[in-house]
Amino acid sequence: MTSPLRLGIIGAGRMGITHYSIANAHDHARITGVADPSKLVTTMLGKYAKVGTYKDFKGLLKGEELDAVLVCTPPAFNPEILDAVLEKKLHAFVEKPFMLNSVDGDRFAKGFDAAGLVNQVGYVNRWNDMFTKAKAFVEDGLIGEPLRFRSEMFSGTIVRDVGEAGWRASHANGGGAVYEMASHAIDLINYFFGAPDRVGGTSLSKVYSKAVEDIVSSSLFYGNGLAGTLYVNWSDASYRKPTNKFEIFGKAGKIQVDQHGMKVYLSEANDAHGLKQGWNQLYITDVFSSVPFYVRGIEYTAQLFDFIDAVRASKAGDNAPTRCTFADATANLKVMEQLFADDAARIAGDAA
Amino acid sequence: MSAHQPIDRIVFGDNQFFGINHMSQDKAQERAERFAKLDNVMAVYDHAIEAGVEGIMLNSNDRAKGICDRFRADKAKYGHLRWYPSIPYPHKYAAMVNDKGMVGAAQEMLFAQGAKSALGKMVSGGMAVATMDAVKLMKMLVDQEMEIYHDLDIRVVFLQNIIVDLMLGYDVAEPFVAYCQHIRKKYGAYPGLITQNLPLLRRKLIEWGIEDVVICASINKIGYLMSPGVAEYEAQLAQNDGGKYPVMAMSTLASGAVPPVEAYDYINRLNVQSVVFGASSPGNIRQTVSLIEGVPA
Repeated sequence: MTSPLRLGIIGAGRMGITHYSIANAHDHARITGVADPSKLVTTMLGKYAKVGTYKDFKGLLKGEELDAVLVCTPPAFNPEILDAVLEKKLHAFVEKPFMLNSVDGDRFAKGFDAAGLVNQVGYVNRWNDMFTKAKAFVEDGLIGEPLRFRSEMFSGTIVRDVGEAGWRASHANGGGAVYEMASHAIDLINYFFGAPDRVGGTSLSKVYSKAVEDIVSSSLFYGNGLAGTLYVNWSDASYRKPTNKFEIFGKAGKIQVDQHGMKVYLSEANDAHGLKQGWNQLYITDVFSSVPFYVRGIEYTAQLFDFIDAVRASKAGDNAPTRCTFADATANLKVMEQLFADDAARIAGDAA
Repeated sequence: MSAHQPIDRIVFGDNQFFGINHMSQDKAQERAERFAKLDNVMAVYDHAIEAGVEGIMLNSNDRAKGICDRFRADKAKYGHLRWYPSIPYPHKYAAMVNDKGMVGAAQEMLFAQGAKSALGKMVSGGMAVATMDAVKLMKMLVDQEMEIYHDLDIRVVFLQNIIVDLMLGYDVAEPFVAYCQHIRKKYGAYPGLITQNLPLLRRKLIEWGIEDVVICASINKIGYLMSPGVAEYEAQLAQNDGGKYPVMAMSTLASGAVPPVEAYDYINRLNVQSVVFGASSPGNIRQTVSLIEGVPA
């Protein structure tokens, strides 16, 4: 019987406390230390969960013998944290968007890979049963060669003026609809098709925010002729929960998919998949996978258990990349940088 | 129903009123619009009561207080009903955390009823948030959530699965012990825990020596929202003492993936003490009640 992996949490906010619960429920892992600046959080965890608590990552890395860390801090803090984590040779799971620029992203992707450390980023849609099913359909050629796509995401996150104070209010802290939400919509595009060659016609607009964008729209182009659009709006009060919508058009059909369901239109029936000509509706209850422990959604458990299993495999000498590596997240950052640059160029052009 | 039966065999839920539908956003929206009117909500309750329902589960949310007021206002018509509230109202807290961060949200909760409220006094009485007694705090938050259910016959106070399952992962007994004691003592009701992890929760409750707790969990033949899986659920239910841990099944139709006849044929073969269901048409309500009662529809 091997001893369980020892995991540390850096940043016990909403995602940190969720990941704690999930990871701690894995048969072969337990949380042994938490770093967070909030005295309320560390006092409670120290008293009831009886884990080592620290006010910052330095204390945690010094005070605990760890195998891996779950980094759930705002992305502006992450370069300094990951430098220390890499120096300690710990495997790392990092919440999205991982970093605020691709230079840092590249550096850590290369550094962790070179050190043989498991690295993963929490783009959780890659573990959603509907999106993985849709990806399998596309790769299987169900709708023929993909020609166009639309990747959209909506939420009612910012539906009034929330002032300048919160961390959401500036790009320097990782705020804004590009880093926080479009990152998910971009990740789905990269997950399905790889990174685009260029973007164009980008518009980043404000609704309530003063210094960051609330609406993101753009077009993305690939050398092989594939093209698509991106539309993200986090000031849309008509959405009760954040929702991704993804549509892919191919010569032989079309797929419309979100987290909970999928519609498939086929020009010809596909017996192998049991799909008829015309419209087919798939519900989450048709495709869901089972997880050993459920807190927030199947995909949240699946992504963390994959990470833990990858770390265990790595310790046993078996290295394989995870479903969303630092390099994958860096590819997303490159698209985000293209969006910022394209929007800035448009504004500069308008002004000229 | 025997005198020893602690909870109703049939409990009427409320998801149908609040735009919750795991299968279809459009359908959810349509319903939310229809049930924006309290009269339309009450009409559905009346159909359920006519069909023989005497137990009602209500999730704490914006609408719950208005609904409770209606039920309290007509004692002659509704006084016999037994209540199964579930707390807290998670969206309220999630929105607060979104706006103000965790610490800001905690402060807002504590002062929600002003500095002169019990919570306000406790906080302003020199007790720093960091040194606060978490159990005391939890009790006060529960009491705050429970205010809207005053003067109703409360049978079980359920804790929502988002909280139960989150705490379950931490593998700490104290919060569960404290919650259960508080509900028994203060409300004279059964503590209830809603979960998507029935096998693990039941094992932990036994390990921690916590008894007389109602466990509410998704139970359906396809295993939807049942971690780790159908086989483990069936095995645990088969050996469960329904006196110590009465089980209430929810999501019995798996969001519509299992037809009602099949769904309740499955449920009725299991060692399950109670079923909570939601429906809005009189026909569906009547059919479900008779299926749960095992009467051919």
